[in-house]
Amino acid sequence: MEDPYKLLEKWMSSESFLVVGRGVYRVDSLDKALGKALFTEDYYIDYFLENALFIKQVLSPLPHARIKSIDASRALSISGVYGVYTARDIPGENQVGYAIPDQPLLAQGKVRYPGEVVALVAARDYEKAIKAAEEVVVEYEELPALLDPLEALERRDVLIHEERGSNIAFQTRVRKGNVEEGFSKAQVVVENEYRLHHQEHAYLETEAALAIPESEGRITVIGGLQYPHLGQKIISRVLGIPMSKVKVVAPYIGGGFGGKDDEGPLTCAKAALVAYLTGKPAFILYSREESIKIHPKREAAVIRYKSGVDENGKLTAIDVTIIHDTGAYANRGPFILWRATMHASGPYEVPNAKVDGYAVYTNKVYQGSFRGFGNLSIQFAVERQMDLLAEKLGLDPVEFRLRNILREGSTTLTSQVLDHSVGVGEALEKTALKADWWRKRREIEEYNKTSERFKRGIGVAVAWHGISTSRAVPDWSNAYVKVELDGSVTVYTGIVEMGQGSPTSSHVQIVSEILGVPVDRVKVVFASTDAPDTGATHASRGTSIGGVGILVATAKIRERMASLAAKLLGVNPEDIEFRDGRVYSKSDPSKNISWRDLVREAYARGVEVSATGYYYLPKGRFDETVGQGFAYPAYSYIVLITEVEVDTWTGEVKVLRVYPGLAAGKIINPQQVEGQIEGAIAQAVGYTLMEYLYFNEKGWVVNTNFTDYVVPTAKDMPEIEKPVYVEDRFKHGAFGAKGVGEMALIPGPASIANAIAHALGVNITSTPLTPWRILEYTRTSGRG
Amino acid sequence: MKVEFVLNGKKVVVDVEPNELLINTLRDKLGVKSVKYACGIGECGNCTVLIDGEPVLSCLTLTVDVNGREVVTDEGLSREGLTKLQKAFIEEGAFQCGYCTPAFILMGEYLLREKQNPSIEDVKEYLKGVLCRCTGYINIFKAVLKTSSRREDSGNA
Repeated sequence: MEDPYKLLEKWMSSESFLVVGRGVYRVDSLDKALGKALFTEDYYIDYFLENALFIKQVLSPLPHARIKSIDASRALSISGVYGVYTARDIPGENQVGYAIPDQPLLAQGKVRYPGEVVALVAARDYEKAIKAAEEVVVEYEELPALLDPLEALERRDVLIHEERGSNIAFQTRVRKGNVEEGFSKAQVVVENEYRLHHQEHAYLETEAALAIPESEGRITVIGGLQYPHLGQKIISRVLGIPMSKVKVVAPYIGGGFGGKDDEGPLTCAKAALVAYLTGKPAFILYSREESIKIHPKREAAVIRYKSGVDENGKLTAIDVTIIHDTGAYANRGPFILWRATMHASGPYEVPNAKVDGYAVYTNKVYQGSFRGFGNLSIQFAVERQMDLLAEKLGLDPVEFRLRNILREGSTTLTSQVLDHSVGVGEALEKTALKADWWRKRREIEEYNKTSERFKRGIGVAVAWHGISTSRAVPDWSNAYVKVELDGSVTVYTGIVEMGQGSPTSSHVQIVSEILGVPVDRVKVVFASTDAPDTGATHASRGTSIGGVGILVATAKIRERMASLAAKLLGVNPEDIEFRDGRVYSKSDPSKNISWRDLVREAYARGVEVSATGYYYLPKGRFDETVGQGFAYPAYSYIVLITEVEVDTWTGEVKVLRVYPGLAAGKIINPQQVEGQIEGAIAQAVGYTLMEYLYFNEKGWVVNTNFTDYVVPTAKDMPEIEKPVYVEDRFKHGAFGAKGVGEMALIPGPASIANAIAHALGVNITSTPLTPWRILEYTRTSGRG
Repeated sequence: MKVEFVLNGKKVVVDVEPNELLINTLRDKLGVKSVKYACGIGECGNCTVLIDGEPVLSCLTLTVDVNGREVVTDEGLSREGLTKLQKAFIEEGAFQCGYCTPAFILMGEYLLREKQNPSIEDVKEYLKGVLCRCTGYINIFKAVLKTSSRREDSGNA
């Protein structure tokens, strides 16, 4: 049996497991604990320090300008400088836009944000490269700049991309039912405008890539990126050479969070370009300042949200306008906007809906992928609305949500019927019980009556997140698995290791589970274009979707080995089981053979012990004109209940405790899942309370270091309770896993804001909730 | 100029520029991998090393200043195998991308030397100078606390 759908179904029905669901230690543990793990720069230092050229980028100082001339003569006169490269030197296409062809690798004709890369300087060492980059003289003709998306939306006289005819990069819409009729049935209507700010990824390893020219015109790039095959495609396009001549490998990556999904392929392409043009190895490493200036950020959004409920507390209609400040380039903006648009109802049933989305160009650093893209901002609006509606109805926030929550058989915002894997209602009830929500809410309200300076609050927020790519956008998994002659197993996948642990834990567990070999006999070669295209390590798909290809390939090998073992042991293939490095007859365990001997027999008797595991996700139809139809194969769900304390004298907010509840299908490695939740909560605390990019009047990001862009430290962390798990298995995920990586960040800001609103009795409509913002609220509420 | 110091128990002699930073000498010339650049201005703590037993940011230290002193990095904590704390990091899943891990391990070892039975507040206070963007710190706290209680249990605190 080699049919991938049947194989997945067969393994989905497993009830008992050897290693799946257990906290198996990651295989990268030892190297990481001993400080031996190699990141991109380590390869440069170890093998290329005196050999490779160092690349420095020349950045635009202006938000919007025409490039009149670039004079590199002074830079080139410095000894040790090999070259200065601009758009003109690109042998292939100078086009790297992921969704819309609007973005050059190196500025061409115009610059559209401060920090845009105009030229690359290559020199023998780091210091020479820095000096030469300063000597490149670029003459600009400054153009009027647009920094505010609402202004850019209206202006026709200043166009950031002339060829597009307006400053709207992309539009989306949902039309469901009859919104006017819906609102006419509403007893309570709430309407607000929400403003969400940018977020910087602040991964600790900045962007880096090392490109090595090889024989036969091939080029190998080692770099930090989240989708090696995308890097391969971009490099091939920029250099004008076949993809088969480009190999891309990501070593361990020092954090990605989406940022290296956008910037990583471009980083690799810059190194590849210099290596290709000079015939020498070339290395690029962004300084922290360059990293913050250049790479895309989480979208800033303006969201106008109107929602109505009837006398039974059921939502009747929503009317939503979403405006994303997409910055200088569309990048993944259309995907981000679609995600926001299709998630605009939150995990609730809404019979009538109108949603309009606009991604608007401005002359600022562009927006891109950041853990839960598009969804964090819209769930903030949804979950603030839900609290306000509950308050007006006099209902408890949890109770009100439960009346509207999606359940199996529910119809979503895009009119898709959810036929399986909808555990959110159960997760909400169980998390509220675990947090002792109702009692705590009353006690806190009592406490606040007498406490003058410190106010406490408890808030809830729920989120859904579509698994896989949206709409009919194709998505697949694949992997190549081979059993070596000694019985050890090698797996090739394009999924990367950026800390999330899928190739170093869950992928290993999947193989170990199916073949019954110990985890230390399984090696996953990750993040390489030598593997079949596995899709990106983003959208929480590394384990669930990325793991499916591995599961299918391994299951194929098992079927073949089971037949062989059955023949050798003289039993039925259904009677065969694999465990602890041996293969047994279930009915008579005295009949058995070691895995190693079985593998030797397979090699001797002509049984193929390698396989690919291609798996194409079945999708449905989606009508983009009305935003109706098949949005995602399934959704992951999460509940966060958060307790805060607000110091009304200083405006400081302390997040005391968080109770997570997760409905993300089968949990393959609970320790890794908890790590994902805790890390995401840290980023949510940072985003909501302290992280903020300052743009000056020229569109510059002013705070380009960790002194001024403040991320949470050990002192800022709340207590995080053990998650409540509802294992609502997903039929197209490995063992039923859906995806966890992004989940806890998505409702984090809403949950904290709802808790602060509860503490202070105010309506919170924007982020970040820095001390001065909190002090403004306490003044207006008169409760400070 | 020549600088001589003890690195992870071994004497090293290295030729450096007067303005050379310790992080660069360690990484570029002495094969130390665990010391990481992440900010370059002493904010993130990822380049932490122990100099004569005290934690110091190697991105803000001139190599000439360690002449005649003793420098320890994550690689040099244990002559053989893993330290108890390194083992606890593995057991508790106290890292994800692993970039900041060596700095946390050094700070954790330093704390456990200073305070044999630290409270969770002590742990947070000692670790607050190192940034991690992946883990949310929780499992790092667990690993440090676990190591301290184990020391107590085994009676060699």
